[in-house]
Amino acid sequence: MRRSIPAVLVVVVGLLLLVDFVLVNPTVASLASGAQELIVLLAAAAALAGAATLVLRHWLDLSERRRDPLGSGVLLAGFAVMMVAGLYPGSAGASDPAVRWLVAALLAPLVAALFAMLFVFVLSTARTGVALRTRQAAVMLAAAAVVVVLLLPIGGSLGQSLAALAGWAFDVPIGGVFRGLLIGVATLTAVHAARILLTVDRADE
Amino acid sequence: MMPDIGSLLAGLLAFIGDQVAASSLRLGPLPTVAVLGIVLVLLSLIARPSTRWVARDLGRLAAVSRAMALAAESGGAAAFSLGSAGVARAASALDRLQTLAAIPVLSHAARAAARAGVPLRVTVNDPVAGHLADVALDAAHRSTETQERQERSTTEYIGEGRGVAAAIALAEAGAPAAAFVDGGLAEEAMLLLNGAQDGAAWTSFGTATASQAGSVLLEGDGTLIGPELYQAPSDLRAAGLERTGVLAANRIIVAAVVVIVLGSLLTVAGGTDLAAVLAGRR
Repeated sequence: MRRSIPAVLVVVVGLLLLVDFVLVNPTVASLASGAQELIVLLAAAAALAGAATLVLRHWLDLSERRRDPLGSGVLLAGFAVMMVAGLYPGSAGASDPAVRWLVAALLAPLVAALFAMLFVFVLSTARTGVALRTRQAAVMLAAAAVVVVLLLPIGGSLGQSLAALAGWAFDVPIGGVFRGLLIGVATLTAVHAARILLTVDRADE
Repeated sequence: MMPDIGSLLAGLLAFIGDQVAASSLRLGPLPTVAVLGIVLVLLSLIARPSTRWVARDLGRLAAVSRAMALAAESGGAAAFSLGSAGVARAASALDRLQTLAAIPVLSHAARAAARAGVPLRVTVNDPVAGHLADVALDAAHRSTETQERQERSTTEYIGEGRGVAAAIALAEAGAPAAAFVDGGLAEEAMLLLNGAQDGAAWTSFGTATASQAGSVLLEGDGTLIGPELYQAPSDLRAAGLERTGVLAANRIIVAAVVVIVLGSLLTVAGGTDLAAVLAGRR
């Protein structure tokens, strides 16, 4: 009985959206649109609650000097600066020049710096994979090595042959593996959605 | 004045009639029948349990209890990240559904952690996913009757963004005894997984994002690649009903493979282009 209300809600909303997908009906369309707007509102409320808990947790960490007080201080300072830039009297909100400058001058370079480390981590992880000698890692690294060789910037007839082979490799074996994965994922996504709609997801023990 | 039942029914029927009259098929008759047919086939297969699809241990999830027991002996903790797609974030629907698919895996790990008395720290970058994780932890402690240990397990919202999830995983010290990352991942996968597995004695990673399969394969001891993330929850359950979801998918995949092979043979033989026929281009 504890699960009955959420289960009914899931089934009703799921069927409503399914019917709206199949039928063109103004009443159903307005109901489905209302449900989707409600989801956006719920997500916005959840985001606000999330931000509040984030600030509260780091405030407590900072005031009680536990875990990483320096990190908490930086987070709270960044949060405050961004809030002030977006909410000061006369601010244009998210499109305010101060907010845009903070995003372009601080946030974007930070994210870019983080993702720039991917190259180092890929090499480091590949080395670990070779050292551990797992079968999957070996197969994957061998395939990666073949692709690297095929994409070498070589001119002449050899380069043309390698380029043609690279195109074939992308279209046939690699494309086939990706299609297989996508077909499997799409099928099981549909099955998973049906399981949620039928509320057959229950505790396993 | 209250209407009688006859008037009420007449009004109800009139309303339904009006709605039917005001409706039209969005996709046309044949595609609509095809869509509903697929749904019916899926539902009938789900409701008809018979056998298991796989016998092997997906993602090493059968060994979770042992990993938690070892963590308890060493006095360590366990960490679980629900990926970076969330449930209510601005990510694709397929990515967000992976977060929901990972919840049963979290429940499984949370029950093992609760029994072993190992603190479990769940990190999320979406408040809605955080709420789901909180409920999963609560249910795990209730089902194992270990509510007195619940305070030691936490769900933590680490902030918005995929980069944040990766940065937190890389920056935070304190190697967990067991580390899990399951859910939607994108370009930050390698960083997030590397940070999660750093120093961990036991790892299980999973994502259905095809482009990140390599990251999971290279980083994790136990892996759930592609469809396996959806298979694993079915395989964890004792009841056969959910497992048949996997079986249903298995049959449909076999049918799809047969169609692909048949279509390829027909195309190679210079006959009918089956793909064009199925896609309605001919």
